[in-house]
Amino acid sequence: MRAQTPIRRKLLMVVLLTSGAALLLAMLAFIGNEWFAYRSATQQRLNILGEVIATNSTAALAFDDPQGAAQTLDALRADPDVRGAALYDARGALFAVYPERKAGDVAGRVPDRAPEGALATSDEALQFSNGKLSGFLPVAENGRRMGTLYIEYDMRALRGRMLLFGLIALGVMCAAGLLAYVLARKLQRQITNPVIALTEVAKSVADRRDYSVRAPPHEGLELGKLTGAFNLMLTQIEEQLRRLHLLQQITRGIGERHDLPSIFQLVLRTLEDHMKVDFTLVCLLDAQSEALTVETVGGRSREAAASLGLTEGTRVPIDGNGLSRCIRGELVYESDVRALDFPFPSRLASGGLRSLVIAPLAVESRVFGVLICANRIENAFESVDCEFLQQLSAHVALASHQAQLHGTLQRAYEDLRQTQHTILQQERLRALGQMASGIAHDINNALSPVSLYTQFLLEKENSLSVRARECLVTIQQAIDDVASTVGRMREFYRPREAQLALAKVDLNRLVHQVLELTRARWRDVPQASGSMVELHTDLAQDLPQFMGADAEIRDALTNLIFNAVDAMPAGGRLTLRTAVRTAEKGGAARRVVVEVADTGVGMDEETRRRCLEPFFTTKGERGTGLGLAMVYGMVQRHSAELDVRSELGRGTTVELGFQAPESAIDPTVGVRALRVPAKRMRILLVDDDPLLTECLRVMLEEDGHQVEAADGGQHGIEAFRAAKSAGKPFGVVVTDLGMPYVDGRKVAAAVKEISADTPVILLTGWGQRMQEEEEKPEHVSIVLSKPPKMHELRAALADVSAPEPARERA
Amino acid sequence: LRGIAALACAMALVPGVGPALAADPAPTEYQLKAVFLFNFAQFVEWPADAFASADTPLSICVLGKDPFGSNLDEVVRGETAAGRRLVVERHASLSDVAACHILFVPASQSRDVDGLAVRSRDSRTLLVTDGPQQGAMIGFVKERNRIRLRVNLAAVNQAQLSISSKLLRIAEIVGPRPEKR
Repeated sequence: MRAQTPIRRKLLMVVLLTSGAALLLAMLAFIGNEWFAYRSATQQRLNILGEVIATNSTAALAFDDPQGAAQTLDALRADPDVRGAALYDARGALFAVYPERKAGDVAGRVPDRAPEGALATSDEALQFSNGKLSGFLPVAENGRRMGTLYIEYDMRALRGRMLLFGLIALGVMCAAGLLAYVLARKLQRQITNPVIALTEVAKSVADRRDYSVRAPPHEGLELGKLTGAFNLMLTQIEEQLRRLHLLQQITRGIGERHDLPSIFQLVLRTLEDHMKVDFTLVCLLDAQSEALTVETVGGRSREAAASLGLTEGTRVPIDGNGLSRCIRGELVYESDVRALDFPFPSRLASGGLRSLVIAPLAVESRVFGVLICANRIENAFESVDCEFLQQLSAHVALASHQAQLHGTLQRAYEDLRQTQHTILQQERLRALGQMASGIAHDINNALSPVSLYTQFLLEKENSLSVRARECLVTIQQAIDDVASTVGRMREFYRPREAQLALAKVDLNRLVHQVLELTRARWRDVPQASGSMVELHTDLAQDLPQFMGADAEIRDALTNLIFNAVDAMPAGGRLTLRTAVRTAEKGGAARRVVVEVADTGVGMDEETRRRCLEPFFTTKGERGTGLGLAMVYGMVQRHSAELDVRSELGRGTTVELGFQAPESAIDPTVGVRALRVPAKRMRILLVDDDPLLTECLRVMLEEDGHQVEAADGGQHGIEAFRAAKSAGKPFGVVVTDLGMPYVDGRKVAAAVKEISADTPVILLTGWGQRMQEEEEKPEHVSIVLSKPPKMHELRAALADVSAPEPARERA
Repeated sequence: LRGIAALACAMALVPGVGPALAADPAPTEYQLKAVFLFNFAQFVEWPADAFASADTPLSICVLGKDPFGSNLDEVVRGETAAGRRLVVERHASLSDVAACHILFVPASQSRDVDGLAVRSRDSRTLLVTDGPQQGAMIGFVKERNRIRLRVNLAAVNQAQLSISSKLLRIAEIVGPRPEKR
C-alpha cells in the first residue's frame, strides 16, 4: 500500500485481504477435503460394486454363460462414469466385457487378458492412476476362485465436481468479499471518521493558524483519548497564544508611557481584565530596602485594598516569608495564604483572599518593587500563570526603569535648555555691550579736545564775556552728560563695573529720593489724564546698609517706577517695599530687597522672558528698550538678584535683592586720599591724535610743566630713550592706550625697561573699565579715561610725583 | 490356491490340451459337463438329513454307461464341497442306485428318468439329465454350441434342495411355479 493511499482505503483493503485470505484457505481446505473424501467414497463404492458384480458373476463363470455374465456386467450401465469392465475366467481369458464390443471396435478399453499378477492375488483393490480408478478383483464362490473382474472408473466426474466446487467457492468468495466490503466500508467509519476529523482539524489549524477549532469528541477508548489529548493540546496552545498576545499588548502599552503610575495602572488594569485575579497591587521598595510602599492599586481592587489597609502610600513591612523571598528576586506562589503564619499573608487571608503570586520587579538583578496578584479561590494560579506573571514583571521592571531614565533625561535636558537660554541672553548682551563700548571709545576720543579746550578757556581766559562763559559752562555740562550717557550705555551689561567707587547705600533714603524725583510722573501726569495712581510704601526699619553705587540704583528705581506707571494707563496702585530677607538656598545669607509693584496690565510669558533684552520694548516709539536692560546691568554689577513676577491683567512685581554685608562696613573705604599739588615736571606726551597732544601740551605747559609730544608709540619710545641718553630724562610719561603698531602697553614696557622709576599714566577710551576691573596693565601707574578732565590729570600727576607711600595709597 | 491348482489340473486333463495353457483349445462337451456336475456341488445346498454323518462324502453318481471317461474323476479328485469330500460312483442299473447326492443320467438311460424322479425326490438326490427330460431336476440343453441348464424348480423344491439364485439366473426355469416354502 502506498503512503498516499487514504486511511479509509487502507483499512478497507486490510479487511478485504484478511477476510479474502481466510476464506480462500477455508475454500481450499473444503475442496481438498471434498477431493479426498470423494475419491475415497468413490473407491469404496466401486469396490462394493465390484464385489457385487463378482459375486453375481460366479454362476455365469461356473456354468460357462458369457451372456449371463455380460448381463450382470451390464448392470454397471447405471453408473455412467464406469468406463469399462471385464470378466476373465480362471485361466485369465476374457469371458465377458462391458460395454459390449461392437463390430468396429479394434481395441477395447479393457485388457484382453488378465495379467498374471492379478490372478495370483485374491484381495486386490481398485487403484487410481492416470485420471481413472481401475483394478482387478477376484471372483470366487465358496472360496473357489472362479475368475477375475476388471473394472475401470472415469475420474472426470471428480474433476467436474471439483470444477463445480471451485465455481461455487469463487461465487462464495465474491459474495463474501462484497459483503465484507459493504460491512467494512460501513464499520470502518467508526475508526476512520475520528481520524479524518482529527486530520481535518490539524490541517485547518496549520493552514489558518486558528487554534479555536476543536475536533468533535469521540466515545471510543483510544480514539477518544487521542481526540481529547489533541483538543487539550489545542486549548493549551490557544491559552499560551492568548497570554503571549496579552504580554505583547501590555508591553506595547507600557512602552508608550513614561511615568511609573501610568505604567503600573495599565498593567494592573490589563491583568484584571484578562486574568483570573481579584486583587492586584504594585509596591515599591524604599531606598533602605526595609519596607515596601504601595504605589498603585488595581482599579477593581480599590475596595478590597481599602478594607485591607493597603491603599496607595501605605508602608508594608517585609515579612519573613513571601515578601522577603520576593525581594531576593524569587517569584513567590502560595496556593493558600491561610496556611502561612506571617503578617502580610494573614492580612490578605483576612480579606478573603486565598491564592497569591508575588513577582519581583528587578532591573539588573536589583529588586525595586513587587507585583502582587491574589485570588479568592485556592490554587487559582497554574504554573503557566506564574510563568506569565514572571515574564510580565520582567517587562514591567524594564519599562519602569526606562521611564525613570527618561524622567532623569528630561530634567537634565530642561536644565540644559534653561542654562543655554541664560547664556544666550548674556552672550547677546555682551555682544551689544562690546559694540557700544567701541562706539563710546570713539565718541570719547572725539570729545576729548572739545572738553579740554572748554576747560582751558574757562580756566585761563579771564577776558571772556559773561555770555560766552555761560555758553562754555553749558557746553562743558553737555560734554559731561554725553560722556556719562555713553559710559553707561557702554557699561550696562558689565558685571560689577561701577562707574563710581562703591559707597554705603541707604536703600530707604534712595527710595524717598526717587519718589520725590519722579513725583511728576506718577502723580501729576496721570491726574492730568483723569486717572489716579495710588502710592503705597512699605519700608522696613533698621535696613542694613550695603556697598553699592547710589546713582545707578537711583536710575534703576526711576526706570522701574516709570515702567510701573506706564503699565497702569487707567490708574492703579503703586507699591514700593523694602525688606530684609533670608535666602532659602545658596547665595548670601541675608538680602536687602526693594520691590516695585503695580496693578497694571502685566506681561505674558513671552514678554516676561524677553523684557530684559536690550531694545525690546512694548511702548512702541516712546520707549528705547533699554530701561530694564540698564536695570539688569546695574543688578549684574552689584551681584544682586532681579526677579520679575507678572501675571497678565493682574500686574507686575519687580524685586531687586542686594547682598547684605556680614559685618559693619569700614567707613574709610572708598574715601579718596589727600591730594598733593604737583610739582613741575618734564612730561612726555605720546598719542597718535595730534589734536589731543597739542591741546594737552598747551594746558600742561600752562600749569608750568615742561611738555614734549610724540606722535605715536614708536616715536614716544625713541624720544624717551633720546632724552635719557641726553641727560634730560622725563619725570613722567602720559601715553594713549590705543595706537597703531606700538600701543600704550608697549610704550609703558619700554619706558620701564629704560628707566624703572619713571611713572606712566595711561589715557584711554576704555579707561573706566580698566579702573574698575583693576585690569591695570603692567608698568602703568595710573589709568585715566577719556575725555580727560584736567583736575583728574592734575591729581594723577600729583600722585606720581609724590613720595612712595602716597602713591601706594592710591 | 487349491482351486486354481485344481482348475489347472482339470484343464491339463482335458484331451488334446497340453500343459501349455497358451494354446487353450475349446473344451469338449463332456469335459464341460464334468465341470458342471462338480460345480452343482458348489451351487446346490442339501438338507442335513441327506448325509448319514458329518464326514459322509458328497457322492456324484453316473447311471449306466459313463460318457465322461476319466474326465469326471479328474475334476473331482481332491476337491471338496461345503467341507465334504467328493466321490464319483458308477451304477450299471437303476437298481444299483442308492444314496447319491448328484445323479447324472446319460441320454442312453433316459427311459429310467421317470422312475428315478420319484426316488430322487425322496432320497434328496439332484437328478441331472443329459438333454431335456420330463421329471429331471436339471437338464443339460445344447443350444447353438453352448450347453445351457434347464431347471425344474418344483422338482428341486420337492426334493428339499435349494439351488443358488446365481445359478437360477443363468438357467432356464421350467415346470410349475414353485410354491413358497
